[in-house]
Amino acid sequence: MESVVNWFYPLIQAILNGLLTGALYALIGMGMALIFGVMRIVNFTHGAFLMLGMYVSYVFFLKTGINPYLGFMVSGAILFVIGYAVYMGLLRRIPGQVDFMVILVTLGLALIITDGVQLVFGADYHQINLPLVARNFRLGTQIFVNAPWLLSFVIALVLAVALYLVVTHTMFGRAARAIAQNPYPSPLMGINVNRVQAISFGIGAAAAGVAGALLLPVFYLYPGVGSQFELKSFVMVVLGGMGSIQGAAIAGLVLGVVESLTSLYWGNEWALAVDFVIFILVLSLKPSGIFGSQRA
Amino acid sequence: MSHRQFIAAAGFFLLSFAVPLVVHSDYTLQILFRVFLFAALGLAWNLVGGYAGQLSLGHAAYFGVGAYGLALLSKVGIPPWLSLFLGVGLAVISAAIIGLVSFRLRGPYFALCTIAFAEVVRLVAKNLPDVTGGDVGTQVPLLFTESSIKSFYISGVLLTGLAFVLTAWIERSKFGYYLMAIREDEDTAMSVGVNTSRVKLWSLLISAALTAIGGALYASLFLFIVPDQVMSLDMSVEIAIVPMLGGAGTLFGPVIGSIVLETAAEIFKNIFQEAHLLIYGVLVVMVVIFLPEGIAGTIANKLRLFKKAPAGSLAAPVPVRPEEEAERTAFRK
Amino acid sequence: MKRIHVVISPVIFAIVITWAGCKGGPGAGNTIRIGVMTSLTGSNAAFGQAHKNGYTIALEEINAKGGLLGKKVELDYYDDQSRPDQAVQGVSKLVDQDHVPVLLGAYSSESTRAIVPVVTQKQVPLVMPTAVADNVVETGSPWVFRICAGSGSYATVTLDFLKNNGDPKTLAIVYENTNFGQSNNKSMTTAAQAAGLKLVDSEAYQASSPDYKSLLQRVKSKNPEVIYFASYLLDAGTLMRQAEQVNLNPKYYTSAGTGFAAAEFPTPDKGAGKYAEYTFSVSQWLPAARWKGSSEFDEKYFKLTNTHPAYHGMEAYAALIVAAAAIENAKSAQPQPIRDALKALNLPDTPFGPVKFDARGQNAHPVLVTQVQGGQYKVVWPADAAQTKPIIPTPPWSERK
Repeated sequence: MESVVNWFYPLIQAILNGLLTGALYALIGMGMALIFGVMRIVNFTHGAFLMLGMYVSYVFFLKTGINPYLGFMVSGAILFVIGYAVYMGLLRRIPGQVDFMVILVTLGLALIITDGVQLVFGADYHQINLPLVARNFRLGTQIFVNAPWLLSFVIALVLAVALYLVVTHTMFGRAARAIAQNPYPSPLMGINVNRVQAISFGIGAAAAGVAGALLLPVFYLYPGVGSQFELKSFVMVVLGGMGSIQGAAIAGLVLGVVESLTSLYWGNEWALAVDFVIFILVLSLKPSGIFGSQRA
Repeated sequence: MSHRQFIAAAGFFLLSFAVPLVVHSDYTLQILFRVFLFAALGLAWNLVGGYAGQLSLGHAAYFGVGAYGLALLSKVGIPPWLSLFLGVGLAVISAAIIGLVSFRLRGPYFALCTIAFAEVVRLVAKNLPDVTGGDVGTQVPLLFTESSIKSFYISGVLLTGLAFVLTAWIERSKFGYYLMAIREDEDTAMSVGVNTSRVKLWSLLISAALTAIGGALYASLFLFIVPDQVMSLDMSVEIAIVPMLGGAGTLFGPVIGSIVLETAAEIFKNIFQEAHLLIYGVLVVMVVIFLPEGIAGTIANKLRLFKKAPAGSLAAPVPVRPEEEAERTAFRK
Repeated sequence: MKRIHVVISPVIFAIVITWAGCKGGPGAGNTIRIGVMTSLTGSNAAFGQAHKNGYTIALEEINAKGGLLGKKVELDYYDDQSRPDQAVQGVSKLVDQDHVPVLLGAYSSESTRAIVPVVTQKQVPLVMPTAVADNVVETGSPWVFRICAGSGSYATVTLDFLKNNGDPKTLAIVYENTNFGQSNNKSMTTAAQAAGLKLVDSEAYQASSPDYKSLLQRVKSKNPEVIYFASYLLDAGTLMRQAEQVNLNPKYYTSAGTGFAAAEFPTPDKGAGKYAEYTFSVSQWLPAARWKGSSEFDEKYFKLTNTHPAYHGMEAYAALIVAAAAIENAKSAQPQPIRDALKALNLPDTPFGPVKFDARGQNAHPVLVTQVQGGQYKVVWPADAAQTKPIIPTPPWSERK
């Protein structure tokens, strides 16, 4: 009995923690996957979008007192508009739509947003203090779930399913998938590629922004907060199968659990390295991703 | 490279060698060292990223291995210059491993894979403090008995010269044509008998060797390094941005990109203080939108326009050369 | 067509050289410029801002008193973007172009360590306010002066406190994976061995992660009596909150200052709030410190920023005060005389305590041990400075209200 307590409960607990974090990763990864799918670019602004989502929710909370578990909708809406505008105002205007150049613009844009936020809000970090954070549900004596993480898990899951349904069941979703599979004949079929890409970029940005808002109560915010999540979103896109949003969602959960188990059995400092090693292994052994069926 | 280009390039490098005779400020020389360092790194990156069209965002790995090779090997008693060359060897070996895996992928998949490898290298260096010193950092020996910045500046110019001559030679060689064929259309290149895997790998090995020399020079100038400094994604991105904005796949692009970007970065920092990264970001975006062929390519085009079309006819449509069109769309694959 | 940019490139190049060559020159006659290297952008920007606030307050005081040597004092900032290579480049700018006679900075241990060889080579004195890693004063350079205490003193003072308060036998170290964390881990590992404490676990972590619960579970399974954290402020809050969630109950929560010693840490709005209660920390300085001027500094800082200062702001303030005193004593604004004056400096009475440098350039700054009691830092060690008795052992989470 003693030995079960020693290894079994920590294992279950670590998996549980991993899933809770993983749901937020999933949301971030799905946003990246959508953008990747329809535009075939690595979006280096994703972390900045997540950070913006956090600041939007933060300001909204300060002004109205409405907590981020409702405020995430504001973050999502504003980030959608920003993403849409960025595509229409900038990315669309890149001559020739050369991949290299689109990536460069997202890099430049990330610098602008991050430094801009720092100029407005300062470099100092902020956090919000909700009473909910102190609430834990204990299952027996050994297993616990922290309330805000559980709440963000549920919201993220609902949104992930909703996003999946949008992509599989709407006209927009069909157009997006058509472009993802092959962008060249799409205009011939009456698909407005620009519009679909703009909406996709907006939704991708919104997903990152919502994830940021949901992180706010359990984390803190400062202008550079997004970069670590951006790196992870690259990993998720690949693991999930390039451009497959359900794949990215599952990859997010897997990543959360892997990191949690790495921390438990090996050491937290190796968690990110393990992420990337898995990433390289998947890329070299099964380039279409663990869950993807598309050709790389 | 035409006859005239050759003369201009030779003049440029001669002029560069003469700079320390005129400029005595260590600060200016240090910025100029950085300009040449990134010109050399940009030229090195350009072989893979520009000519072969493979967007590598992981060159910090080779840079870092070169830097750490020099630092760690000389720590166990190997003379610095020998350490440098052994370090370059290590970088080439890592490039071979990275290349074998990542070149099986194309486009953005390849870019992501290079990021992942560079991150693994960085995290391993960070998490093995007993070997690398970890984040406490490690001492790097001086490569020159005279510690003056002048020696570094001259070696920076030499490295750029070496990379430049190599690139000029590759541009005209069969190997160079293979690279460009891969960039234009990898499948077609393969179908006409180009061993694309081998050609891409060779370009990466040369690129990694040059990058590693740059890393070692950089480390030796600063005398002290930590993984987050020499192996970060920021470093990879900077190595790629310089030639991309200067003009990817051109001989002069990386040099011009480095001159413009590295000096602009320093000037912005002095003028705009905390807002300098914002301004730098705006510069990057503006160049992409308004100078789509890079600084080098666009300037050249504009001047040609003036020559061919006399006053009043600026609005006349400019005939687009087919190869230019190809350049624009080259990276879409 | 390509020949055009061949013509252009030397032209641009020539312009650049002319620009760089013409700018600068020796500083103007009526001011003394002091070089400041700190992190205004990048991951350490929050601390760079604290530096800037501290420097601003000191500068106002100095100029209000008529400046130095009858001249107005100006600060010449260089932002290292939290990157050591940029710091090295900055030294060159500040010294070779702006000709500052003395440098203050940098913020992080990484940047500071990187510029030590450069200032030594350029023969300009460097006053280091905040770098805690001990390797910054271990190069034998006669040009560096550190105001704050290093990670070695953090470890010995903490162990000293533990020895005299319950004498625990087992220790776990949890440190962030940076120069700051790794050097504190090294110092503590060595010192604990010498003191006969058994090190049962040593955990590095990736800074700024949202989830440390599995890491803390791992520590819990080793069941240490003492935990020693080396963390920045952002993670300190997360770690303590999640320590409660995993029900981690050591007898002592101790720490290497920084995050656990910041003014914000015990507050609910920007720190860990009630989760900070009972934690021990080493500290370089507190607004409540007994040194003359401490509370005045606190007031001025609050007026400037609407927040209370952590010791980083004070250390920057002290660095400028020390440099100013050295310039006054040297009666010169040249590097060599200022260096000599710093070596001979003896300021018994600054708001940061007495300042006097030993042969390595290290100021023998006393380190305090504090405990959060009722949301306030209380000094509990050394005995002669203690405001109150430490509460030991830390009550388990289930028994706290």
